Amino acid sequence: MSDWLWGVSRVWLRYYDVFTKSVVFYVVTTFVQPVLYLLAFGVGVGALVGILNANGTPVTYRSFVFSGVIGQTALFSGFFEGAYGAFVRMYYQRVFQAIAITPITLSEVLWGELLWDATKAAVAAEGVALIGVLTGDFSPWSLLTLVPVCFFGSFLFAGMGLMSAAYARDIDQLSYPQYLLVMPMFLFCGVFYPIEALPQALQVVAWVFPLTAVNSLVRTLTLGLPFQWWAVPILFAWLTLLVVLSRRAMFRRLVK
Amino acid sequence: MSDQSPPPLRVANLSKSYRLPGGGAFEAVHDVSFEVTAKQCFGLLGPNGAGKSTTIQCICGFYPPTTGNVFISGIDVHTKPKQARQGLGVCNQEDTLDSDFNVTNQLIRHAAYFYIDRHTARDRAQKLLERFGLTDKATQMIESLSGGLRRRLQVARALISEPKVLVLDEPTTGLDPDARRELWEVLTEAREKGTAILLSTHYMDEAERLCDRIAIIYKGRILDIDSPERLIKKHIARDEVEEEVRPGVLWKRKPNLEDVYLKLTGSRLGVEGL
Ligand SMILES: Nc1ncnc2c1ncn2[C@@H]1O[C@H](COP(=O)(O)OP(=O)(O)OP(=O)(O)O)[C@@H](O)[C@H]1O
Ligand SMILES: [Mg+2]
Repeated sequence: MSDWLWGVSRVWLRYYDVFTKSVVFYVVTTFVQPVLYLLAFGVGVGALVGILNANGTPVTYRSFVFSGVIGQTALFSGFFEGAYGAFVRMYYQRVFQAIAITPITLSEVLWGELLWDATKAAVAAEGVALIGVLTGDFSPWSLLTLVPVCFFGSFLFAGMGLMSAAYARDIDQLSYPQYLLVMPMFLFCGVFYPIEALPQALQVVAWVFPLTAVNSLVRTLTLGLPFQWWAVPILFAWLTLLVVLSRRAMFRRLVK
Repeated sequence: MSDQSPPPLRVANLSKSYRLPGGGAFEAVHDVSFEVTAKQCFGLLGPNGAGKSTTIQCICGFYPPTTGNVFISGIDVHTKPKQARQGLGVCNQEDTLDSDFNVTNQLIRHAAYFYIDRHTARDRAQKLLERFGLTDKATQMIESLSGGLRRRLQVARALISEPKVLVLDEPTTGLDPDARRELWEVLTEAREKGTAILLSTHYMDEAERLCDRIAIIYKGRILDIDSPERLIKKHIARDEVEEEVRPGVLWKRKPNLEDVYLKLTGSRLGVEGL
């Protein structure tokens, strides 16, 4: 166990080292997008919509979107780091191959990759939550209670990314999951409007996709919307499935 | 009487089959066995596609063997990769340098994977960079290095952990004659300190000069293992061979390892006396 932890942390630290050299890049690429969404939808559309009935609770549209962008950030940041980032490291840089012939095993390399992607995306999601705290939309406490949701949600989306990287034959093929999975989730899993606005059948479909569960939990914690307990098993089922499958797929791809 | 401690590297009846997309399998390495003792340099000599890199990937514990075992200082690399690879330094055939780090940090970071502290790593890195003529590139990123400089850095990286077993897959490909000689010297120094070296190469002069023992590998099988001198004596009957190098121009020369290699791995027309 301690050996495992040592190996995984070495890998995590490699990512952290690289990261510290490009903090400005990270801040710009990670936060510009959510801030634009916050302004365009939260403030812009928010002025038109005003108060919204979200799952029986009245909330301002601005707060609703602010909380939605938390999950959306976990999705984008986790998926893109796990998909494009890992693909570059695996295919072009051969970082996995170089580390996995030292006392660190490929299994540890992949745990390190997933944990790093999850950490980075979770921090970004918390950053968005912090903006909401500063604007007075959420209580400061929510930053704390959000940690597990942000982390496990990001972990799940990183797994989705890594799995895509493992199956992509070239980097262009990552567009498939991006357009077929990430974009539909972004638009239909309750980031910009309550999924209760969708027809019943579409609502059921929306619940199958993990971003709905993440958004639901985030809104319970930030806006006090009713707790939808089934979001928890949905999140952990996806998390387990994607972590197991993405690791297996990566092993298949690299270990001949 | 034989030494009780296990040899630095032992490959025992190693076979490796690749799964093919259609569902079949392709056996790239068949029943390969050899040992490399301390202070020895062992060469894998074989044409493209012979199975050299496949063997090396199994030695690293990256690919699992289909059958057989690889032991590093007596530890099975497949079942106990963490312990076994503590004593292993590898330079792969392809470029696996980490392009997110500059030349020095590259080495320090790699050392961290071997439990080596930063301070020790920095010292060793400095010495290695000096040895490999990379000191003036110490703070540059990998992209700015030429192909040969990258190759040198990758060999240097394999040495940062001061391994008991050093595995080099075509280390001198792309090196200029000077750098090649420099590397030969580095390898000679390393083996004097007790390192066991396994290298694959296409260069006959390199193999003949560096290796105490050579395995000629062809289509995944070892055709013969011996010292270069004994291989020549065994397989080339004559003291002198004749070769028509250009129409009408005949060269007479002593037989060399290349003649053995060509004789065992296929036939070359025009060389008399093989
Ligand atoms: N992943 C793979 N899947 C299927 N076949 C493979 C795979 N990797 C290598 N091979 C085949 O196995 C054989 C041995 O390849 P290997 O790379 O070990 O040769 P090599 O001796 O290192 O050659 P070279 O001198 O060109 O580097 C070749 O026929 C090669 O095509
Ligand atoms: Mg090869």
